[in-house]
Amino acid sequence: MKIRKTLSATTAVAAMLGAGAAFAQGPYTIGITQNNVGVDSYQTTYEKAFIAAAEKNENVETVVLDAGGDVARQIAQMQDLIQQEVDAIIIWPTNGKAVIPAVREAHQAGIPVVVTNSNIAEEGFDFVSSFSGPDNITQGARAAEIMCDRFKDLGIAGEAQIVEITGQPGYTTAIERSKGFTDRLPEVCPDVTLLESQPGDWSREKSQKVMEAFLVKYDDIDGVYAGDDNMGVGALNAAKAAGRAEDITFVGATNFAVGYEAMERGEYWGSIYQSPVDDAEAALQTAIDVLEGKDVPFLNYFDTPKITQENMDQFTKPVF
Amino acid sequence: MQKDTRARLIKDGAIWGFIVLELIFFSVAGHFLSLSENAFMDLENMLLLLKQSAPIGIIALGMTMVMINGNIDLSVGAIFALSAVVMLDSMGWAVFAPLGDWVIPISWALALLTGMALGAINGLIVWKTGVDAFIVTLGSMLGFRGLVFMYNGEQPTFHLNWTMVDMAQASVFGLQTPSLVLIACTAIVWWILNKTIHGRNVYAVGDNREAAVNAGIRVGPHMMINFVIIGFLAALSSVVFYSASGSVNPNDGMLYELWVITAVVLGGTKLTGGKGSVIATFGGVIAIQLLRKGLGHIGADTAMVSLVIGSILIVVLYLDKQLNRKGAEDLKL
Repeated sequence: MKIRKTLSATTAVAAMLGAGAAFAQGPYTIGITQNNVGVDSYQTTYEKAFIAAAEKNENVETVVLDAGGDVARQIAQMQDLIQQEVDAIIIWPTNGKAVIPAVREAHQAGIPVVVTNSNIAEEGFDFVSSFSGPDNITQGARAAEIMCDRFKDLGIAGEAQIVEITGQPGYTTAIERSKGFTDRLPEVCPDVTLLESQPGDWSREKSQKVMEAFLVKYDDIDGVYAGDDNMGVGALNAAKAAGRAEDITFVGATNFAVGYEAMERGEYWGSIYQSPVDDAEAALQTAIDVLEGKDVPFLNYFDTPKITQENMDQFTKPVF
Repeated sequence: MQKDTRARLIKDGAIWGFIVLELIFFSVAGHFLSLSENAFMDLENMLLLLKQSAPIGIIALGMTMVMINGNIDLSVGAIFALSAVVMLDSMGWAVFAPLGDWVIPISWALALLTGMALGAINGLIVWKTGVDAFIVTLGSMLGFRGLVFMYNGEQPTFHLNWTMVDMAQASVFGLQTPSLVLIACTAIVWWILNKTIHGRNVYAVGDNREAAVNAGIRVGPHMMINFVIIGFLAALSSVVFYSASGSVNPNDGMLYELWVITAVVLGGTKLTGGKGSVIATFGGVIAIQLLRKGLGHIGADTAMVSLVIGSILIVVLYLDKQLNRKGAEDLKL
């Protein structure tokens, strides 16, 4: 409610300035339905950054919604936004497939849809104006390279055994990162064995339990690839409790503050640097560009570089 | 005596009064807080509300029967998910490939049969073991959910058929398919409860099981039929919803049982059985969806919505308790 009040206030200011504004059209009303804001710090920071970016732009009003991870609620929110006749919809899909019919409804109502962070499945591409987000296949591939380079330095690239903790099943980001990783690993390190993959649902606690099970099941684990740092640190905690963290190379994705700190302590090897602020700002800008009729590439990626203990001084600590 | 009648009137009409109150509040508040140029009471918005009420609403009708009966069914969320898995998975079976789009009614039928079979399992266990339905369905809630995960691991089950989506999104006089199904089911369940012998027995068994047995009602099979009905309705709700979305996550439908029970209780059905009305349940479902939608309309976040609905449920039960006190002297409003 507070957000809405501030937004209405900015809207009023924007309306007053409207006469002198340089923009030909607008103000635009852009609706966003997010995946699950409270669940992790990345999504929480994303929402804050999105609202901040929208407030700075006086030509934009936003309706900020959160599906709470519930597909049914997200579909209902899409229908609500269509009914409210917003100018564009940004969706962070809870499920890359189940939202396709709802996206088609928006498309049929003449409302452009921008997908953010995690893409929907290919069947829905016809109804989407643009995807704004990280290239998760490349992220997975880069994580595989980080892992392999580390094994080569340690001289165990010929026999290393690793486990993988993936994100929430059905979630495109989780599937793509896992695919990027498992496709790239045999190319760079053909002798490394992937013992098992289990989902950690983006949750540190769940991931810790999964890792505890792995540690009981396998006597020799040299590396862990986690779909994000939140889960990576969960796995690290499990290994520390079992006294086996020293022997294991941990590689994550989406560098979180906890991952960055663990890297500073020398317990966690590397990750992929992805800023939710860049992510949110890119999504809003993509939507505005689409509305202004600019030429927007269908896959509008922002860069996400490798970060390891060796080069981490070049990156500021993530705020989330 | 007169006070009694008044109390009953207040009680029976309470849910509708509550809905009117919500409508007024959100219309006024939305006028100041919402960015949308459309009014909250807009016809399109109300039609959309009805459609969005359907998944919970259809199940709530069955829950009303089961709860009047003095039982409860906690497994509806899991039945909802498992029926969807069967429906979407069966559409891709090679056996049905030559049928083309005619696979749709067959998959629907399979899903409905799944729901009925699962309901029958619940009913049979309650009947033959005499264990409380709360415990039995708590067990089957976990068990059926286990089946969902066994079916396809943690992966979503997916089958997008545009013919099916078009059917699920079709509309008559602005009422989309889910709304039509909800209205039709409400009418049918109302008819069963009020115009058939089975329906009267539902109240009789819930009110006093011993008396019902003495009156010659075969309580075991009777309760089993009600579990089959709620299983069917949970599957129907699933068919309606997933025909339009085409993809089910293994976690889908979790907590549905609680939303359904909340709606039924809001509508005034007694947890102890013997009393309740399917029309009031319909009101309860609408009231919850109005709250969700209205709070969204004025910009409250998701967590706030759950908090408000939870608080209202407790207040409603407290008022209900006050109104049910014997003797007018205890009535405090």
